[in-house]
Amino acid sequence: MAATAGDELPEAATRRLAGGAWSSGLSVADFASCLDMGMEPVGYVQGYAVLQWSWFMATGGFGTGLGAGLAGIGGGWSRPSQGHGQYVEQWQCPHGFVSAEHRMYGANYELTWLEQSWAMGWGLATSRMVEEAKQLGASGVVGVVDPMRPLVGGSTVEFRASGTAVVVPDAPRPATPFSTYLSGQRLAKLIEAGFAPVAVVATLSAVRMLGYCITHYQLAGSTAGSWYGAGAGGVSGVGPVDQVNRAEAAARRLARERVRAQLGTDILHGATLERSEREIGEGDLSIQCTLKGTRARRFKDFDPLPDATPVVRLA
Amino acid sequence: MTESPGQAGADLPHPEDATDAPLPEGLPRDASRRLAELEDRPGHKGMFTSDLSVNEFLLIKEVGFHPLGFVMGSSIYHLGIQTRKWSQSQELSKLTQAMYEARQLAMDRMDAEASELGADGVVGVRLDVNYYEWGSDTAEFIAVGTAIKAEDGHSYRNRHGKPFTSDLSGQDFWILMQTGHVPLGLVMGTCVYHIAHRGLGQTLRSTGRNAELPNFTQALYEARELAMTRMQDEANELSATGIVGVRLEEKSHMWGDHTIEFLSLGTAVARSEGEHTIPQPQTIISLDG
Repeated sequence: MAATAGDELPEAATRRLAGGAWSSGLSVADFASCLDMGMEPVGYVQGYAVLQWSWFMATGGFGTGLGAGLAGIGGGWSRPSQGHGQYVEQWQCPHGFVSAEHRMYGANYELTWLEQSWAMGWGLATSRMVEEAKQLGASGVVGVVDPMRPLVGGSTVEFRASGTAVVVPDAPRPATPFSTYLSGQRLAKLIEAGFAPVAVVATLSAVRMLGYCITHYQLAGSTAGSWYGAGAGGVSGVGPVDQVNRAEAAARRLARERVRAQLGTDILHGATLERSEREIGEGDLSIQCTLKGTRARRFKDFDPLPDATPVVRLA
Repeated sequence: MTESPGQAGADLPHPEDATDAPLPEGLPRDASRRLAELEDRPGHKGMFTSDLSVNEFLLIKEVGFHPLGFVMGSSIYHLGIQTRKWSQSQELSKLTQAMYEARQLAMDRMDAEASELGADGVVGVRLDVNYYEWGSDTAEFIAVGTAIKAEDGHSYRNRHGKPFTSDLSGQDFWILMQTGHVPLGLVMGTCVYHIAHRGLGQTLRSTGRNAELPNFTQALYEARELAMTRMQDEANELSATGIVGVRLEEKSHMWGDHTIEFLSLGTAVARSEGEHTIPQPQTIISLDG
């Protein structure tokens, strides 16, 4: 991630990292299993980025922008003139019906401004966290937590990343400390399986869906569209909402492809996919997918686990 | 760091004449009577109270400690008003100090109760803040926990001769002792920070652009680092080697959106003498459903 103003650590951070007692955000159980793996905590590290976050940025809209031209011949969404990324799909009304109320055109497209802002915020926060770890001479950061929350007001968001920096006393220090969402036993199991953590990887994909007439009727739960004509133009009571399905699938596919592009020959461990949506207007949705995980690299063959002891808990 | 409200527990009155006896300094009369009930003395078999679960109780016994009693301390504090500059991000040092002192007072009182019981430490400490309708700008800070004592007579008190405090559960306490560390005290640092309001001009200038706001990033970063540095200073003061289970909490309490308290909390630990080997983890199959 590109360096920007604010990459300098604040004075308080430098003082805190300078020495004295180490601090660790790990639970005691995770702390114990870190020691067991030969890792020693050296400090709690953190990174932040506050971003201007404005949905006014959303281009296009019903009867505005480029759509104003189309609106002259009937209601419709504008096709985004720019910033639609790799994925654009368009729909056209099958009815041949012209009215200001009737949405003749529909489109799904990738919401690149949102993806880029997110990538910038997340990248800044995590790289600052790793920077703190580097200053401590750490081998890596374990137990990374990276929430994004709205800050005061609502038009700003804060990206946060924090974790516990550890050193492996017997191993050479990597040029850039590794980072992982895992800690404690879960990390121990990954290493036991022959994989070493490399870095946390995350991406957000966003798809804007501007519904056309059929989608509009389907979302409204009405079959009012059916009288417009038989065949392709009709809307039955039950059926897939094609345009929404396409948008959902595209968001997931974009997230997967983007993470895969960052992995090289490594694997993604413990991936989580979160989906959220935001209704910008009627029939106007933004669907977001966040895919996160730890990039891991095989460093040794898998040793079979020792025989397991069956246990009954009395609790 | 405030002074302890008194080292109690020297000559403890018998429950019968407790009402006439002078109060141990800093502890309410009811507290000393309750604590006296808990103690083992000739002719009086003591009992203990605790908020430990059965498993925690078992593990604390296993590691060589005995629970003595449930202890608490509280402090009702009036939080004054500090003026803030509308458009400037800054620390509100008076509020920071108030929030810190109030918690410290509650913890010291809990410590005094534990000392009175002759405890080596307090586990499972919880710090809460309550607000009541009857007091505007008034908050009650409460610290509660279970006092414990080593059964082998070895003292685990910290370098100030006071019982250690920690927010560790019984399980955590057991694991920590297995790793060859002893808790020294619950350490904390706090920082009350005012986040600047953005002027109309600034908002307009950045409308339509999604960019980082470096001033905000720095302000929040600074506030959290200050809280953590103060926590670390406390740990150094106890000669700790580290702090486990650090939590960073953010609350606006009753000050509105733009004023935030950043509180960091953790248990300061030090390596104990002697060799310790962590038991080798075993692979198990749970037969529970």
